[in-house]
Amino acid sequence: MTTDQKTQPKLSYEQAREELGRVVERLEAGGTSLEESLALWERGEELAAVCQRWLDGARAKLDAAREARSQ
Amino acid sequence: MGVTQTGPPPTTGTAPRTGTPGASTADEPWPVRVVSQKVSAWIAKLGWVWVDGQVAQISRRPGAGTVFITLRDPAAELSLTVTTSHEVLAVGAPDLSEGARVVLHAKPEFYPARGTLSLRADEIRQVGLGELLARLEKLKRLLGAEGLFARDRKRRLPFLPQRVGLITGRASAAERDVLTNTRRRWPGVDFRVINVATQGLSAVPQILDALKILDEDPGTDVIVIARGGGSVEDLLPFSDEALCRAVFACRTPVVSAIGHEEDTPLLDYVADVRASTPTDAAKRLVPDLAEEQRLISLARHRLDRAVTNRLDRESQRIEAWRSRPVMARPHVMIDQRASDVISLRDRAERTLGHRLGTAANELSHTLARLRALSPAATLQRGYAIVQRTSDDHVVRADSDATPGTPLRIRLASGTLPAVVTPDADSAPGRSQVAPEAAVIPETGGDTEDHSDAVPDGGTSAPRTRAPHKTPAARTAADREKNTDDTAPAVDETTPKRERAKTAKSRKDSA
Repeated sequence: MTTDQKTQPKLSYEQAREELGRVVERLEAGGTSLEESLALWERGEELAAVCQRWLDGARAKLDAAREARSQ
Repeated sequence: MGVTQTGPPPTTGTAPRTGTPGASTADEPWPVRVVSQKVSAWIAKLGWVWVDGQVAQISRRPGAGTVFITLRDPAAELSLTVTTSHEVLAVGAPDLSEGARVVLHAKPEFYPARGTLSLRADEIRQVGLGELLARLEKLKRLLGAEGLFARDRKRRLPFLPQRVGLITGRASAAERDVLTNTRRRWPGVDFRVINVATQGLSAVPQILDALKILDEDPGTDVIVIARGGGSVEDLLPFSDEALCRAVFACRTPVVSAIGHEEDTPLLDYVADVRASTPTDAAKRLVPDLAEEQRLISLARHRLDRAVTNRLDRESQRIEAWRSRPVMARPHVMIDQRASDVISLRDRAERTLGHRLGTAANELSHTLARLRALSPAATLQRGYAIVQRTSDDHVVRADSDATPGTPLRIRLASGTLPAVVTPDADSAPGRSQVAPEAAVIPETGGDTEDHSDAVPDGGTSAPRTRAPHKTPAARTAADREKNTDDTAPAVDETTPKRERAKTAKSRKDSA
């Protein structure tokens, strides 16, 4: 179930966030095998990292712009 | 102004009448009197005319019989002297004052004495305000009809003018208003000011000149004509036809800023932009720098806030998901299963233990039963089992073992080999076993009746058998029984059979 690094960057923020939502719901619903739960959890962490990267990037751009403006 | 009928003959002053000499030549020049007489005659030819003009000056010297008026053309810088009598003036325009617009009926006259020309008016009418306004209205309709007011001919003002041309009165309030307000809004603005008369006769001509200069100046990209408030007469020049046409013809956009809010001279209609007051003109000329900067920073601020809010909201959402138990503490999942496994294992152990327990019980129980059934106890009590070594057949009757057959006697412990010895004193066919070994009737294996198995350790009493059969019958039954001893009778004592087999297999393999 884990996707390799190659497809990561193409994942848009919204897509990553939506999938993260689904993963968490499935995990909470339970009834999945141990392997599956682990895989789900791993996928969840990956997606959260992707989202975080998008947000940090955006914030960095915003700060940079602000700085450029204040010079 | 059509030619009117000729009035009374001209009185040519006191010059003597002279003949009409020939053409004047350098040799025979005409004297002054001749020339002025001719001029006077020419002038008289015009006859009576109605003249429209503006009173530039008026001199009512009480003593003198005549009143002298300098009449100016409403638009051009031309004027004539008008002579009239007090009576005419009193009748037509009693309180005539400078700047008033008049219409008079007059005839040009030439005074030879001073060589001056003047109009002698016999009727003067002051053009009243109503009259003036009516005239204005007419002019307005005329210009409107010509399309001078057409909206699509209006030109847009530049957003930020390079240089602003300003036509206004010298050091007038209007000038100050336009300059200060415009500079306050946009300090960098460049002005080119041309001061003109803003009322009275010379207003229009001066404005026209200024307009021409500014329109031709390539650097000036907008022209403002500004004047403070004033009476209708004061503002009249700004409804002048010539001025309106000139403004319309201008290539540079013109802003009219005349009088107060409610004043609307014709210039307002012709100009590209109408500002209600000089101050208002400033607003239309240039954007307000401070205002623009404020708007920009406001926009920037809102931009920042919107993006930051969005980012905060999103990261909270991600954080929320990340902190959900399933994600934050995944080992919960594993612990859960670990405890499941443990409990399963415990259950397994318990059930196993249980089963072992029962199995053990069963075993001991069976063992007990086994022991109870096995002949060992009987042997213990001193009995012995006799078997033919040849086929391990258990000897139950003397007929089973003819003399000489080798026997094996099984005791509580160990076995004794033996041989059947002929029986000296008994009937043939009877066999006798060496006296010291007493053959006990078989209590195990083949006998049907086991119901009263002797518990270990109990006193072993010989078991009663079926009613005693005659030897012959017995031996036949036995023999028939012996032949198929291999067929399993109801065989409870497995170990005995086992022993029989093993002995047999041993004999085979030896």
